[in-house]
Amino acid sequence: MNPGIEVVQVDTDVLIIGGGLAGCMAAIKASEYGVKVTIAEKANTLSSGCAGTGVDHAWAYIPMIHEQMGWTLEDLIEDHTQLIARGFINKDLLRLVARENYDRMLDLEKFGIKIRYEDSKIPGKFRIVYQFHTMPSSFNFDGHDLKIKLTREAKRRGVDIINRVMIVALLHAGGQVAGALGVGTNNGKIYSFRAKAIVMSTGRANRLTPNKTGIWGNHRIPVNETGDGRAMAFRAGIPVINMEFLSSGYYSIGNYELNLGSPRNTVQPAAAVTGATGEPIVPRTQFYDWPNLGKEKVDATLNRQKMLSGGQNARPHYAQLYRQGQGPFYLDLTGGTEEEIKYIEWSIGNEGKGSLFLDYLKNQEGFDFRRDKLEWLPNSREMAGTAASGLVVNNELETEVRGLFGAGDEIGGVPWTGAPGAFTMGWRAGEKAAKEARTQQNHLPVDDESLAALREHCSGILNNRSGLHWREVEIAAQNIVDYYAGEVRAEKTIQRGLERLEDLKKNTSFKAENPHELMRCLEVQSIIDNAEMILNASLARRESRRAPFGFFRADFPEQNDKEWLAFLALKKKEGEIEISRIPVR
Amino acid sequence: MFNPIIFNGDVCTGCNKCVDVCLMEILEANPEKGKPPIVKYPDECAYDGACWMQCPQREQGAIKIVPPLPMRVSILRGEQP
Repeated sequence: MNPGIEVVQVDTDVLIIGGGLAGCMAAIKASEYGVKVTIAEKANTLSSGCAGTGVDHAWAYIPMIHEQMGWTLEDLIEDHTQLIARGFINKDLLRLVARENYDRMLDLEKFGIKIRYEDSKIPGKFRIVYQFHTMPSSFNFDGHDLKIKLTREAKRRGVDIINRVMIVALLHAGGQVAGALGVGTNNGKIYSFRAKAIVMSTGRANRLTPNKTGIWGNHRIPVNETGDGRAMAFRAGIPVINMEFLSSGYYSIGNYELNLGSPRNTVQPAAAVTGATGEPIVPRTQFYDWPNLGKEKVDATLNRQKMLSGGQNARPHYAQLYRQGQGPFYLDLTGGTEEEIKYIEWSIGNEGKGSLFLDYLKNQEGFDFRRDKLEWLPNSREMAGTAASGLVVNNELETEVRGLFGAGDEIGGVPWTGAPGAFTMGWRAGEKAAKEARTQQNHLPVDDESLAALREHCSGILNNRSGLHWREVEIAAQNIVDYYAGEVRAEKTIQRGLERLEDLKKNTSFKAENPHELMRCLEVQSIIDNAEMILNASLARRESRRAPFGFFRADFPEQNDKEWLAFLALKKKEGEIEISRIPVR
Repeated sequence: MFNPIIFNGDVCTGCNKCVDVCLMEILEANPEKGKPPIVKYPDECAYDGACWMQCPQREQGAIKIVPPLPMRVSILRGEQP
């Protein structure tokens, strides 16, 4: 054992791995039960996760509004199930999100987040827009500093936040969670956590394929989210689903890789996307007719049918239109009124990279939405919200390991839960984990063997003179995923991909000059593990499942619901990958 | 290769808030107190703007984020209304 690497021992009741939206919500809720709560965060909770620099929208069932429309909770659930997931969804988890997110929005308000507006004509003084469903269901709100406010709230409640620690190993014994091991990303120390319960809230997997613009950090979702959570779960023998659904890139302001964070993938109201002829491909959207709210009850079933048959609410297949010569495409807000453009700028400024983007547009490009159009370009491929890949959890967010819970984008089975999923599942997982921790008298002992192995692994990388720089390995892994798990997949090519991935693993010996580079090496290890899951899952799913998952097998071109209306779970057992099907109900 | 973050040494107070919040851990505090941080890993910038957003001297121009050429948006310019 290398005596050079210091080990920091941390004992806690509830350990939260990943301090994004779900992790912060879990910590805040868990703190209500008189237990010690610790967040281990790879970056800094002030800025980390998909909402690190803001989120401006979150869908919810809002009784005070939707009841007036005659649109029920069941209607929202059916809309989401059919329009967003084409039936391929864990409906029980969806129900949890749909039922509880309104309450979570009210909690956010208590934490200082502005969700009501004096000029609003909508009940509750909210700002509500269309997103995924037949009726407007998404709050627009001032979420640019949400992470700052959630961090403040967590700290006020005594949550211990340890930033700059990347967790790489999940420890469990005898079906019970024991703790986790991590590496300090700027001090190089090893962190050995013992916990009575753990919430996994590490977020989505990114950086799995080469990036479109060639600018390494230019991705739509945070580039430090390298699927560490599902990778460590996989390594620890915990099942992961839906990894085959790595999708092609969408179109948006592709060179900047952002969606303007906006419902229906443009900006509403007033935005259109136009093609070569100037004709709209995505027409202008309008605000809901709020003054007439409640005058007419909706027929949700009919509306759904119309949307499904008209292909509405689906993203246009821009790549196909491009191949037909219908590009270039432009985001066009030039017909918007002053009120609409002001609203749009406010909304963009609250979401993701939006405030920086607006500043850049105005001050570096002299851009004006009233006059100029932005070209709509392809994004990098991603494990999108559609894929809903991640841990297998039951209705109570429990995994098969006692005391281990999942939340937010780290759980699999519910396409596009996004921020609402993080708020609701985080909250529930925090509560469950705290209650579980209270039932446990003592910690399980430290797993000395795993700890020694991690110390040896890290010192090996830090002392390696002849190894490879992380970037070199990352590019090789990304190229394998991109080619062998591409838009068209087939048995022989996927198998070849797996062979090449094995070669890559054999040829890879990382080197790092310092803890920062060590973190990047460990991230690339996550990418390799994710690649292994993607290729194995792609090989096992012997059907195609196109809309909305974009999964096409040339050798099994048809969708086969009889055999494959099931989540495909991968589980590592004694070095082999066990594959099972979890039927979609 | 890239130069994503430009600090204005006349305005930046060297508070290192940006170093703290950087998602990608690419910034390092300047050994000289009160001076702007050093962009140690410019090629690992995520362009998420956390540093810029949380800079207390942002309005005074302490920090500027410059997207590299392939990231700059493509604009179809219209006529001045």
